[in-house]
Amino acid sequence: MPYLLRKLVILVFTLWMAATLNFVLPRLVPGDPVSVMLAKYQGRLDPSAVDALKIAYGLNDLGSPVAQYFTYLGQILRGDFGRSISLFPTPVSDVIGQALPYTLGLVGITTVLSFLIGSALGVYSGWRRGHPVADALTPIALFLNSMPYFWFALLMLYMFAFKLRWFPLGGALDPFPGPAFSSGWWSSLLRHSMLPVFTILITSVGGWLLTMRNNVVSVTSEDYLAFARAKGLPERRILSRYVLRNALLPSFTSFGMALGFVVGGSILTEIVFSYPGLGFYLYQAVVGLDYPLMQALFFIIALTVLAANFAVDLLNVILDPRIREGRA
Amino acid sequence: MNGLRILLRQPRSLVGAGILLVLLLMGLLAPVLTPYNPTSLEFSAYMPFSAQHPLGTTAIGQDIFSQLLYGARLTLLVGAVAGLIATLLSVALGLTAAYVGGWVDEAINALINVFLVLPGLPLVIIAAAFLRGGGVWPVILVISLTGWAWGARVLRAQAMALRERDFVQAAVASGEGPGRIIFMEILPNMTSLIAANFFGAALYAVLSEAGLSFIGVGDVSLVTWGTMLYWAQAKGALLQGAWWWVAMPGLGIALLGTSFALLNFAIDQLGNPRLGWGSVKSFRRTLPPAPAPNPNALLAVRDLDVGYVTPQGTVRAVRKVSLDVAPGEFVGLAGESGCGKSTLAFAATRLLNPPGEVLGGSVTLAGQDLLALAPEALRQVRWKEFSVVFQASMNVLNPVLKIREQVYDAMQAHGITDPAKLDARARELFSMVGIQTRYLDSYPHQLSGGMKQRVVIAIALALEPKLIVMDEPTTALDVVVQRQILQEIAEVRRRLKISIVFITHDLSLLVEMSDRVAIMYAGELVEQAPAHELYAHPAHPYTQQLMKAFPPMTGPRERRSGIPGRPPSLSETLPGCPFFERCAVRMPGICDVKPLETFRIAEAHTVACFLYDPAVSPATKELALSHAPNSVIAQPLVSQEVRLEPVPNPALH
Repeated sequence: MPYLLRKLVILVFTLWMAATLNFVLPRLVPGDPVSVMLAKYQGRLDPSAVDALKIAYGLNDLGSPVAQYFTYLGQILRGDFGRSISLFPTPVSDVIGQALPYTLGLVGITTVLSFLIGSALGVYSGWRRGHPVADALTPIALFLNSMPYFWFALLMLYMFAFKLRWFPLGGALDPFPGPAFSSGWWSSLLRHSMLPVFTILITSVGGWLLTMRNNVVSVTSEDYLAFARAKGLPERRILSRYVLRNALLPSFTSFGMALGFVVGGSILTEIVFSYPGLGFYLYQAVVGLDYPLMQALFFIIALTVLAANFAVDLLNVILDPRIREGRA
Repeated sequence: MNGLRILLRQPRSLVGAGILLVLLLMGLLAPVLTPYNPTSLEFSAYMPFSAQHPLGTTAIGQDIFSQLLYGARLTLLVGAVAGLIATLLSVALGLTAAYVGGWVDEAINALINVFLVLPGLPLVIIAAAFLRGGGVWPVILVISLTGWAWGARVLRAQAMALRERDFVQAAVASGEGPGRIIFMEILPNMTSLIAANFFGAALYAVLSEAGLSFIGVGDVSLVTWGTMLYWAQAKGALLQGAWWWVAMPGLGIALLGTSFALLNFAIDQLGNPRLGWGSVKSFRRTLPPAPAPNPNALLAVRDLDVGYVTPQGTVRAVRKVSLDVAPGEFVGLAGESGCGKSTLAFAATRLLNPPGEVLGGSVTLAGQDLLALAPEALRQVRWKEFSVVFQASMNVLNPVLKIREQVYDAMQAHGITDPAKLDARARELFSMVGIQTRYLDSYPHQLSGGMKQRVVIAIALALEPKLIVMDEPTTALDVVVQRQILQEIAEVRRRLKISIVFITHDLSLLVEMSDRVAIMYAGELVEQAPAHELYAHPAHPYTQQLMKAFPPMTGPRERRSGIPGRPPSLSETLPGCPFFERCAVRMPGICDVKPLETFRIAEAHTVACFLYDPAVSPATKELALSHAPNSVIAQPLVSQEVRLEPVPNPALH
């Protein structure tokens, strides 16, 4: 199928760009940040580890940059991201393996929820233009969309965890939550995730609302909608089969860009709530000058976002007959 | 600038500009508003609110209020500069891609797609982590380099559309250089899009800077709202209960972001008015009672006034138009583009969208006042009593639903639900308009334009309505398909005894097909007559001119002339006849001052022209006629003996 094939090519190409940026950035920046990092850890790491890092960053003049580049790409293909420095000697892939489920759970669920809620409100706001509530939703959404995620997270944390003590101050689980997947464990997980989920929902819902509202308004002036009205179709049918079906498609298309933004915001939210996902470890890596972990996390975050995008593209194929035949 | 004035009249963009102005003044007037240096540590830690320190002090004894004021400076700077650089990048790359095309376009487009899906903030964090320290410029640079892709995509699409437009093509053909074309022809038409894009990029920049500063990447020794949040968090402000230290800078960022977003939204709307905040008003009957309709008419339009309500004033597109359609009659409605004929059709069928609005008059269909019907009653009348075939039938079918569903739902909405019946009727309709029934299970994009138009006509016939309004149903089709479809329409009408209102600018077509023809000009119905009568004796000077615009098949060769001049602007209030300016037989002092009236000159022939006004002296009329160049009116308006046989229409034979 040419459409999906093209999307797949873009996905692979983007991943390759992410990997290449990872490789180029430390070498591009003046002042040799990697040497600074290595100097910082000189006394605390054993010499063989420092040597390994030197090789990884091309500081020991082993081979040309081109040769280094291909060695690096080969390592990534094998899933070998080296070892974390701040958590030495844990392999970076182990850190990611631990953190990924939390982020996927938190960001995945909130993104789907936020998309559904925001789009539903957007449909309402676009379809009932002129109604005071529907019109008020737009400026509210603009404001919510302009709030820094982490700032709202801090306020939530202060209100509901610090002052009111309704929720824990941070982390994903109690220190001793009981055996994994037991009822106690689940309730602990749920209590810890409430505030982060709420934060991400509130701060990301506005974007989906605005997107969907614009799409609905655009569809409203399409000829096929006037025709549906002229046919005397019931309002419900017009809304579900004519407005919604068509307004959803561009929403899916802009999903990719918005998703990157939401993931960025969620990373900051994780930091505020000390939620042990990818964002939290990214922060740890930045603070600890842990470049291998940082780069691997960036690569994995990019991979996750791209995979989600691809899933949305698949959904698009199912929903739009024009794409199915490679016409769009 | 006109756009700017419209922008400043909207409450939302005013609020956005107002917030931005206040924040800007906060930064600029910081030395006036506070005596303290934002970074001096001269006070004790965590002082509460006081007259001296309106927002207290930080953990290390800095005045929070002065930090908030001075922080506005750098925060705004980052937003403005990063927004500007990102926008410049978007413009440069988007325009280059669109203008150069070919592999350059492919490459830039690939780059745009990559940067669109790469998660921005993590990338910025990584990049900034390597660029640690060094003031505000590395941060600005990194943010701009990651924030340009969305704008480039939008601008590229817009520039590509512009490049195909006539005026740009003309500039290319006349040998203008690429620089001139880009800067003189393309860029000026993209200003609002670029401005909207700038505010979008600035919003992204402010939020990214805040996020970066918050996690300590970038230069935390500077005072921005982002670094204030960083220090508040690092010093545990919330644990000390100093929530305002966190709340205030964040609120500043949120407000700045909102003002950027409001401006972005408002400017975007200038270029794309459909996205307006404007409300959809439902029609409410507050009109003065109109004269009683003709009881024999199937459709009776009385004194219908329709306008488009715009910020610049009301455009009166249809002015006091009255029109009757008898059962089984084929009425043609003709006039040049923009004369209000489609608006009339949309208003009469209550399909007019805002800003269009019915301002007065009545529309009665089979005894029911259509304009007064409640929504549910209107829904039931629609399609059952009258159906509509649209002008742009290319886009009339829902692209994501199968044809079958779109044929069915019209019938289902009016009580036919038995699947066997639905299927049988759909097949019958399709064979009636000459399409193979297998296309029922296609999607609209799989059909050609002519087939789509046939499908729409089939759907219009589904419930055998008494009336079908057809708005230029064949305009977009090639002549052969057009002829076939017209023949089918004529045949079906005869068989089912359906009334048809047929709208077109093609007068020759109407004369051939219609029982009666009505001519519109500048929102007025200027002449109405049986088709043969109108053909033989066009009475209104405008109709006569229209008749001269198409050649007869027989007779001597003669020069075809257009009508010099242009119709008047419909936003004006015209005291007299709207055709006055272009009329060759006008009577100054009468036509341009008397309110337009309609006169009956034969049994079924009315004309809105003062040449037929018995109150105007014959001498005045003679004078006007004698001034006319002989090409205008060959026969004096009074002689009605000469009868011409209708000339066959080349489109139909």
